[in-house]
Amino acid sequence: MELTDADLVARVIVDDDQHAFGELVRRHQSSVRGLLRQLTRTDIGLADDLAQEAFLRAYRNIRRFRGEAKFSTWLYRIAYNCFREEARRRKELVGIDEAHWQSELDPQTADPALRHDLMHALSLLPLNERTAILLCCQNGLSHEEAARVLNIPLGTVKTNVLRGREKLKRALAAWEAS
Amino acid sequence: MDDIIQEDPFDRQLREAMPYIDDDGFTARVVRRLPPPRRPRQSLRAVILLGTTLLASVFGYVLSDHGRFIWVTIERLGTLPMLGLFALALVSGMLVTVLGLVAAIAKS
Repeated sequence: MELTDADLVARVIVDDDQHAFGELVRRHQSSVRGLLRQLTRTDIGLADDLAQEAFLRAYRNIRRFRGEAKFSTWLYRIAYNCFREEARRRKELVGIDEAHWQSELDPQTADPALRHDLMHALSLLPLNERTAILLCCQNGLSHEEAARVLNIPLGTVKTNVLRGREKLKRALAAWEAS
Repeated sequence: MDDIIQEDPFDRQLREAMPYIDDDGFTARVVRRLPPPRRPRQSLRAVILLGTTLLASVFGYVLSDHGRFIWVTIERLGTLPMLGLFALALVSGMLVTVLGLVAAIAKS
């Protein structure tokens, strides 16, 4: 029988079982790396560095995981915080601030080869809408869980999901028509 | 009410558009960078258990009139018939075996 995430977390806490933590990483690496790749606008190297940092941070703080939320939700929150910190750090170092990732790209300048690619359309959305869409629509989090991950009001999450979905639909419809 | 909009075909399309990212050694890299496991505290546990046992033995010895009951018990055992002594040894052995088994099962 396959162990649940909660079982694996318990093993890590009680026995400091690094194999159990490795199994948790293996289970969640794709969704965490996917989320970060989208947040960083497909900067794969940066996204993977952030994902690695997120997992290491999760390991160091695993005793703080109370099991009130799903392990994946807790992990997304750490990953999102890593991303926010990196955005702030970059602003200090090279002047690239969160607005770089926050800004909405012009759909007209999108690579024509990727125009029908939903993932590409997603990367054109502003950060807050993109993140809400990624968490709720792609990773299956409820609006409440996403609000917890992003540390923003529930109503804001709902608005961002709604706006993001509308923009995506419009972008895809416009590309298909052209 | 659950807010997950799972039935929406657009959301399903979104979920399907997200490719599964192959591990490609990512997990191994993370595990390699984990801090070393905490040192097991078995030795401390052994010291505490041994110390408590010794202390209890000393108390028992002093409180029981310097262990007079041991000699009395041995004398009584000496007067037991051979069959009684054998039965006592057998029951004691079985009891220890059962306790050992219970401990082993609990440990695993």
